[in-house]
Amino acid sequence: MNGFEHATPGVLILVALAMLLLFRELRRIRGGHQHFIRRIPGIDALEGAVGRCAEQGRPVMFTTALTDVGPVLFACLGVLQAVAKKVARYKLKLVVPQYSPETMAVVEDSLRAAYHEAGRGSAFDPQSLVFLSSEQFAFASGYMGLMHREKPGAACLFGVFAAESLVLAEAGQQVGARQVAASVSPEQVAFFICTCDYTLIGEELFGASAYMSREPVQVATLAAQDRFKLMMCGVIVWGVLCATITSWWPTLRIVMPQDVLSADWSTWRAWLP
Amino acid sequence: MSAGRVDVRARLTRIATFLGGIYFFFYFVCPESMIEQWGIQEANEPISNGFIVVGTMAIGLGIINIISAHGSKVIFKRRGWQYSVALLVGFLAIITTTTAQWIESVKVSKRVHGVQVIGDFAQRIIEDDQIVSGRKEGIVKSVSPAGALPQVGARISALVSYSNLQLRKINSEVNESRAMSRLSQAESELLIELEQASRDLEASAIILTQIPRDSLRSEDEAALQAFSQKAARLASAFSLVMRKNASTSLSQRVYDLLYNGVFNQLGSAMFALLGVYIAAAAYRAFRIRSVESALMMIAALIVMLGQISFGKHLYSEMPAICQWLLEVPNSAAFRAIRLGAGVAGLMLAIRMWLSIESTSFTTRNK
Repeated sequence: MNGFEHATPGVLILVALAMLLLFRELRRIRGGHQHFIRRIPGIDALEGAVGRCAEQGRPVMFTTALTDVGPVLFACLGVLQAVAKKVARYKLKLVVPQYSPETMAVVEDSLRAAYHEAGRGSAFDPQSLVFLSSEQFAFASGYMGLMHREKPGAACLFGVFAAESLVLAEAGQQVGARQVAASVSPEQVAFFICTCDYTLIGEELFGASAYMSREPVQVATLAAQDRFKLMMCGVIVWGVLCATITSWWPTLRIVMPQDVLSADWSTWRAWLP
Repeated sequence: MSAGRVDVRARLTRIATFLGGIYFFFYFVCPESMIEQWGIQEANEPISNGFIVVGTMAIGLGIINIISAHGSKVIFKRRGWQYSVALLVGFLAIITTTTAQWIESVKVSKRVHGVQVIGDFAQRIIEDDQIVSGRKEGIVKSVSPAGALPQVGARISALVSYSNLQLRKINSEVNESRAMSRLSQAESELLIELEQASRDLEASAIILTQIPRDSLRSEDEAALQAFSQKAARLASAFSLVMRKNASTSLSQRVYDLLYNGVFNQLGSAMFALLGVYIAAAAYRAFRIRSVESALMMIAALIVMLGQISFGKHLYSEMPAICQWLLEVPNSAAFRAIRLGAGVAGLMLAIRMWLSIESTSFTTRNK
């Protein structure tokens, strides 16, 4: 189908399972169940970094970089809201450079809500959101300029990054900002580890807002994704066992996980009675 | 904003999110036969257009933000207002240039279309005559306001006078181009081609004037067909000349200077900074302060040596070790990160689609 991917029944079952797990965990956590979340040093450091800004009277910078409207942005917004509430309480300046106009509208609404929740709605300055450019390196140069002019005490780099990641992180390093980065792009994680004080790797970005806020919905999502990952690990073990067995006995016919997951609707119809 | 209105706003957002997501959900999970049967695919284009519309509105927001943030900085002469002036001047310059370019391209398209219709008109005369005489099935579209189809002779004379008018305009434009600037060889060749095409069409037009006034004979049809082909050749030559002229216009040259000469070069300069930054970051990262950084240092050293011939000279198995490091531990880590992020993204996407959100995203306390 021109350019579109379609779910096989196997994938559909996985999506349905993910939904069921989410609802189950939500019910359990709303019922009072405590889900353990391990310590994330980067997030603990983030709280300290905002405090450091308050002591030094320096602003806090938060960027979602190249992140478009989607799940990653919403994961970043959870953290941004937590940071914005602290910034509002400490009466600090928050600078949020923006890459995409669509994202900017969502981020602005979210920031406004955070200031209201902190009880300092009137302190919210829409101009703390600075639209720089939708061009990657123009955004990077704008960010560098802002960093050198504002000299923030803490910088948070959360979201999707590409080749500009090192430029952004080095700019923060040059002004002595305490930097916490989180990216779902594995290629950029190495750059952040080299340049930032703390780096959240991959899904830690998604867990960060649950860790900070402990809101039932966010914790339930985290719990559901843990269970789902455990299930996926089971599928991986099943695949490894099947591959090992068939390498020993090549004539043996066993059902491999990829056979189940990639089988189309007609194959499933033939399987079912 | 009252609580009631907030509630309505939140509810509307939830409904819109759910309805927006349901299309993609069905598109993803339904088998292809069902998608075709239910006409889900037909909705694809309007939905894609909807995304473009929303994106365009958001660009407006970006522009407003730029003008208000930097405009106020300049007006109140806040710290760094000079940078804002540079930004606003650049912004206005590129907007003006692209607008001028757009106007010019519209003019060129109109002008080229004016020449293209000569061939189309000749073709239409043939088709209409075939339909009227019953040699072809179809509906005659070229009906005069009075409701009657004009006589073939009248249509042909209109065609000839229109093509002569266009040819006169083209000739004067060619003469102007020759007089105004020194032409390159490619430009001269284009103009010669255009002149040749216009001479051919002129000769063809003389033949057309001899066609009788009532209906077309087979040789008349052939003459019109030849005229139409020559008109198409003229239109294509004219289009090339016009586009070539447009590419050397003032607005295009200013655009090239701003975009290719300044913007792209600055982007490349920013990218080039990465080389320096990688060295600085590597220096910090490779200082052995812990077991982890020692491991990282050793791995990086092996990978770097494995990529160059000197590594092979030191130890013949170095490229193989480097390859193993990249393909086994590195790939495993990458896959683990991607799997984790993918699962987390899926959960968050489900949560967003079903609007199972924390209160901060859905309500406003004003």
